[in-house]
Amino acid sequence: MRRRMLWAYAFVSAPIFALLLFLLGPILFSGWVSLHRWDMLSPVNEMPWRGFSNYVFLLTKDKVFLKSLGNTFLFAIGGVGANTILGLGFALLLNSHIRGRALWRVLYFMPVITAPLALAVMFSFIFDRNFGVVNNIITALGLPRQPFLSGPQQALITLIFIAVYQFVGYYIVIFLAGLQGIPQDYYDAAQVDGAGALQEFRFITLPLLRPVMLFVVVTNTIGALQVFDLVFATTGGAPANSSMTVVLHMYNTAFKFSRMGRASAMAFILFAIIMLITLIQVRLLQDRTYQD
Amino acid sequence: MNPKRLLCFVFLFALLGAFSSAALAQDTTLTMLTHWGTEDQLAAQQAIIDAYMAENPDVAIELVTVDFGELRTKIITGRTAGISADVYHFYHLWLPDFVNAGVLAEPTQDALSYINENVAQGTIDAVSTSDGQTWGYPTEVNPYQLVYNKRLLAEAGYDAPPANWDELKDMAAAITQVDDTGAITQLGFGVIAGWDSGIVHPFSSLLFSNGGNFLSEDRTVAEFNSPEGIETLQLYADMVASGGTDPSISGLGDFPSGTVGMVIMAPWWRATLRAAEGIDFDTEVGVAEIPVGPSGEAPSSIAYTWLFAVDSNSPNKPAAWDFIHWMNAEHEEGVGSAIGDFLVNGLGAIPSFDHDQAAFAESMSDHYVSAFVAASAYARPEQIVAGGQEIKTLLQVEIEAVLTGMTSPEDALASVEMQANAILEEQRMMAEE
Repeated sequence: MRRRMLWAYAFVSAPIFALLLFLLGPILFSGWVSLHRWDMLSPVNEMPWRGFSNYVFLLTKDKVFLKSLGNTFLFAIGGVGANTILGLGFALLLNSHIRGRALWRVLYFMPVITAPLALAVMFSFIFDRNFGVVNNIITALGLPRQPFLSGPQQALITLIFIAVYQFVGYYIVIFLAGLQGIPQDYYDAAQVDGAGALQEFRFITLPLLRPVMLFVVVTNTIGALQVFDLVFATTGGAPANSSMTVVLHMYNTAFKFSRMGRASAMAFILFAIIMLITLIQVRLLQDRTYQD
Repeated sequence: MNPKRLLCFVFLFALLGAFSSAALAQDTTLTMLTHWGTEDQLAAQQAIIDAYMAENPDVAIELVTVDFGELRTKIITGRTAGISADVYHFYHLWLPDFVNAGVLAEPTQDALSYINENVAQGTIDAVSTSDGQTWGYPTEVNPYQLVYNKRLLAEAGYDAPPANWDELKDMAAAITQVDDTGAITQLGFGVIAGWDSGIVHPFSSLLFSNGGNFLSEDRTVAEFNSPEGIETLQLYADMVASGGTDPSISGLGDFPSGTVGMVIMAPWWRATLRAAEGIDFDTEVGVAEIPVGPSGEAPSSIAYTWLFAVDSNSPNKPAAWDFIHWMNAEHEEGVGSAIGDFLVNGLGAIPSFDHDQAAFAESMSDHYVSAFVAASAYARPEQIVAGGQEIKTLLQVEIEAVLTGMTSPEDALASVEMQANAILEEQRMMAEE
C-alpha cells in the first residue's frame, strides 16, 4: 500500500512541479519585479528597488492607467451585459421548435472559431468612416455618417459590439446546454397550475439557470477585463486613448517603454480587481438551494 | 595491453579527434536583425549576405526581419530570452535606452576610425551618446519634406506647393472633397493617428519650421510647450475645422492611391511611390520644403538616422563588426558600399557615408530624392534621449486628442510637458544611480 502511495506521489509530483515552475514561478517573479524598476534589458540582479512606488504611481499619477481602467470596466459591463442577455435570448429561441435549429447554431458559433485578429481587421473595414459598409447603409437610410472606431465617443462602443458578435455564440451554446438540462416536468406542472410563458421563465428557467448564469457572467467578466487582441488589432487604444484597455496599456508599458516593473504592478492590480469582482459575482449568483 | 582494450582506446581517440576537427571547422554563425522585410528588401539583403559569405566561407549569416513597429520589442524580448541577434539595425532614438542597459558592444577601434573618416560629424553625433561614444555604423539619414500630388494641387487651382501655413491651410481645404453622403473622397493634408511616428512627421517638422524646439539643447527639459508648439497644434485644429485634414484617413496609406494632396514624408518612400498605381511618380509626385509657420523664419525639418550595431552578448563580436564593416565599406573606389547601394537604389534613402553619397549621387539626383538631399543640409537631427519613445507616445496621444476635438492645443502640450520632464528627470536619476 505504501509503495503504491509512493508511486502516486511520484506521478502527481510531475504536474505539480510543472505548475510551480511555469505558473507560480512567473507569478512570484512578476510580484518581485513589480517592486522594482526593470527595463528587461539589464540583469535581474541589478534591478533598482522601488518598493510600492509603481503601485502608487499607477493609482495616483498614471492618467492612462486610470483611463484604461475605466474603459475596461465599461467594456466588461457592456460586453457581459449584452452577451448574457443576447446569449440567453437566442438560446431560448434555439431551444424552442424553431426551424433549421442546427443551422442557426452553426451560424452563431462561427465567429467564436474565427481568428480574433482576422475578425478585428474585417471589422476595421466594415466600420470605416469613409468606405465602410455600415456607413454606406446608414447614409442610404438618410442618417449621418459615423466615425465608429475613429471617433473618441464611439470607439469603445464599437469594440463592445465586435466583442459581442465574436463571443455571443459561445454563450448561446452554454445557455442552451443549461436550458436542455431543465426537466420538462417542471414546465408541465406549471402549465397545469395555469402559469404563463413569462411566469415559467421567471420562476423556473431563471432560477434553474443560476449555475449556468454564474459560469457565463464570471468567465465573460474575466475575459472582458483581460481584453487585448481585439483592441490591439483595431484601434491600438486610439484615438487619444479613448479605447485603451488595461492589458494593452500593460503591453505598451512593458514592451514599448521598457517599464516591466510598472507593467507587473498593473498585472497585480488587475488581478486583485478580477478576484474581487469574481468573489462578488459568485456571492450574488451562487445557487443557495441546498444551503437553504 | 589487452587487444580489446587497445581497440577501445583507438576508437575513443578517433571519436575525440573527429569531434574536435568538426568543432574547428564549424562556421561562425551570425544573426542579423533588421526591419527591411518586403520581398525586394529581403532579396537585396540576402544578396549582400551571400556575397559576404562567398568571401568568408567560415562565417554563416542568418537574416531575421520584423516590422518596424515590432523591432524594439523583438530586440528586448530576444535579449531577455537569451536569444538575441548578433547584429542589429535599429532606430537611433532607442540608442540611449540600449546603451544604459548595456545592450550594445563598443565598436572596434578600426570601425570607429573608419566611421570618423567617412561620415559627417552631425551624423556621427546622431549615433553617439552624450559622452561622445559612437555605437555603430550609421546607415540612412532621413530628413522630412512636404510630398505633394501635383495633379490634385492643379485641380484645386494651385500651381505651386504651399510656402507657409496660411497657404497650407487654404490648399488643404481646397483639395479636400466630400461626397453627398459625407464620405471624404479626397483629403488635402494627411496626418498620422494611432502611430507615434506622427511626432516626427508631421509634428516636429512643422514645429521646427515654426522656429520651435522639441527639447532643450542639453536635452534635459521638454521645450515643445511653447508659443511655437501651440501654434503647431493650432494648425492641426484649424485644418480639421476647415476640412483640410481628418484623422480618420491614413495620409501615408492613401497618398500612393492618389487621393491625398499633401503629406510630410521621408526619402525612403521613393520605392513605394514608384510602385504606386494611383499616382505617377515622375509627373505627379512633387517634393517641397516644409511650409514656414507664423513664428518661423525659414523652412526647417527634422532628420533621423539608423545604425548597425553589435549586441554585447554576442559570442562573435569581432566577426560581427567585420561583417558590418564589409557591408558599409567601399571596397573599390567610386562604386560605393553594398548597403549604400541598397539604401539609395533599393529604398531611395540618403546614405551616411561620404563615399556612398558620391558614388550614388546620380541615383539621388532625381526630382524626389534630390529635394531631401538639399534638406539634409539644414535639417535638425532628432534629439535622442533615454525614454524618448515614451515621450513620443504620450505626445502622439495628446495630438490625437486635439485632432478629435477632445482638448485644446494649450492643454495638450502642458499635459505632456509635465510628463515628459518627469521622464527625463527619472532617466537622469537612473543614469546617476
